[in-house]
Amino acid sequence: MHIDARTLPNGSVLEADLCIVGAGAAGISMALEWIGSPRTVLLLEGGGLEYEPAMQDLYRGEIVGLPYYPLQAARLHYFGGTTGHWAGFCSTLDPIDFDKRDWVPHSGWPLRREELDPFYARAQPLLELGPYEYAAGDWQRRDPTLVPLPLDPRVMWTKMWQFSPPTRFGARYRDAVIGARNVHLYTHANVCELEANESLGAIEGLRLRTLDGKEHRARARYYVLACCSIQNARLLLASNRRTPTGLGNAHDLVGRFFMEHLEIPGGHLALAPSGAVNTKLYAFEFGQTKARGELALSAAVQRERRILNGTVSLEPGAPGEVAKSTFQWGTPERLAALRKWQANGKVGPPPDGLPEPAPAGAPRFFHLVTRQEQAPNPDSRVLLSTERDALDMPRAKLAWRLTELDRRSFRVFYEVMGRELGRSGVGRVQLLDWVRRDDGAWPGTLSGGWHHMGTTRMHDNPHFGVVDANCRVHGLDNLFVAGASVYPTGGAANPTLTLVALSLRLSDHLKQTLA
Amino acid sequence: MDRRQFLAVTATSALVAGLPAAFNLHALAQPDLLPILGPEAVREIGLRYRELMPAENQMRALHAVILAARPWSARVPWLAGPSIGAMVAEDFAAGRTIVLQGWVLSTTEARQSALYSMLAD
Repeated sequence: MHIDARTLPNGSVLEADLCIVGAGAAGISMALEWIGSPRTVLLLEGGGLEYEPAMQDLYRGEIVGLPYYPLQAARLHYFGGTTGHWAGFCSTLDPIDFDKRDWVPHSGWPLRREELDPFYARAQPLLELGPYEYAAGDWQRRDPTLVPLPLDPRVMWTKMWQFSPPTRFGARYRDAVIGARNVHLYTHANVCELEANESLGAIEGLRLRTLDGKEHRARARYYVLACCSIQNARLLLASNRRTPTGLGNAHDLVGRFFMEHLEIPGGHLALAPSGAVNTKLYAFEFGQTKARGELALSAAVQRERRILNGTVSLEPGAPGEVAKSTFQWGTPERLAALRKWQANGKVGPPPDGLPEPAPAGAPRFFHLVTRQEQAPNPDSRVLLSTERDALDMPRAKLAWRLTELDRRSFRVFYEVMGRELGRSGVGRVQLLDWVRRDDGAWPGTLSGGWHHMGTTRMHDNPHFGVVDANCRVHGLDNLFVAGASVYPTGGAANPTLTLVALSLRLSDHLKQTLA
Repeated sequence: MDRRQFLAVTATSALVAGLPAAFNLHALAQPDLLPILGPEAVREIGLRYRELMPAENQMRALHAVILAARPWSARVPWLAGPSIGAMVAEDFAAGRTIVLQGWVLSTTEARQSALYSMLAD
């Protein structure tokens, strides 16, 4: 069932067993799990079924700290959320990502990777991925021409990615959600406040507003915030009627530990002339490639060198050519052109600036583009701005900040990779000037991957985390969080597969709780 | 190659007569880097190495340090020592690397590049 909240009489009250706030990858993944169950589910989406500039403007925010991408362009505010323009990169977090690493302050999940495996497997079909196989050998068995580079596994390995078509959750699951009798989708229903009870131990209801001035309330037994990392934090912080620091924020953690993946070109690889080096496994063509490998350092090397996790992709290029970072090629204008091109059925050439298909023939020269986790940093955070949006909500203010560990990990990665690719006879690695320098400065190409993580981090102890291992907000009996905001650390994998897996896990937990 | 360089090469070659062909001066001055990076990049790498290591900025000195870096087995005439390629791989494995012009290189191939730059000039 679908209702546009603007059509409701002012002051309407919506009621259900479960209320999910936000209809992106996390919210829709959860809602699908409840179709046909005896429980009623409210799925509240702030935007409409399609992109609308006025709704998107509600995501505009202030940037302080390091330069960042315009917030209103980094996330999409309509049914399907940011899957409306994601690229479909999927991989799992590595076992080391869940460990408490003594060289990475604030690291460690209250979960093991093995606990997520069954949920990763369930998430694969939702994202229209292949089998739950992320070992390079699995893909080589399917296609013997996909040969991993001959690396010493004690030093480096090939981490596999799979590519979603990419699944646009809005288009792909709209009919299923709208057709479900027990799932009530409300669009243009912007949650502006979570209302806690007097003891601040539970949520009593949600206050919703529409751009045409109506105000409604939603009530449920359980609530799940699934609005993305920045908006989850913003909503908790702005829900400060009963407590000035906002809800779930007794220990001043909400909004802190905002993390990105550092996606920056860091060097070059010139392949050795030997014909034995085959890089087909590492090639990527948007919309075509089903799986590819990236180069990663072993857990043992990460421990020994006390660095963060990361991977490097091989992008065919030419000497003297300057590679672009993710933020550089994905400008808001290009992304808008891309959305338009896709909406028009991809007729004609793709918009300028899309990653080029690999040139014909086997490339011999590559740009090395890093995707590195960011060290959890309490000073990297989302706050409330003094500016308010059209619904009178304080806008988000992002202070993205990095540490010396982020910078050093980059350099060490390239040094180790240079040695290993030289030793194995694959080729020679060149470090870009900024990677070699010891001055701690970041280059003008500094970029994230539009991967927002960590603002409501997970920890068993409320002094160190906003949610517990079941994604329940500490201190609030019936409020849960879905999405990458619960990640204590981000690993090197794009966040979507993991956040869908965690959403399915949360869904199971809530079903047991409600039963 | 001018007359002075020719004399230096000749003198160096005479000193190391009896070496396997792979370790003679001319062979060493042709690093495996050449087909990977191209002659101009290798020459620049060589020049940079010589700038950083003034004590090795002579053909004889460079040749000598490359030979001295060989493992003991390579110095025993009746044992088949490692190839120069194996020495380069061993450098990488042991962390005997140097970053020149941004390239992560084995020390041996950096010295070879220095030799190359001398002969190329």
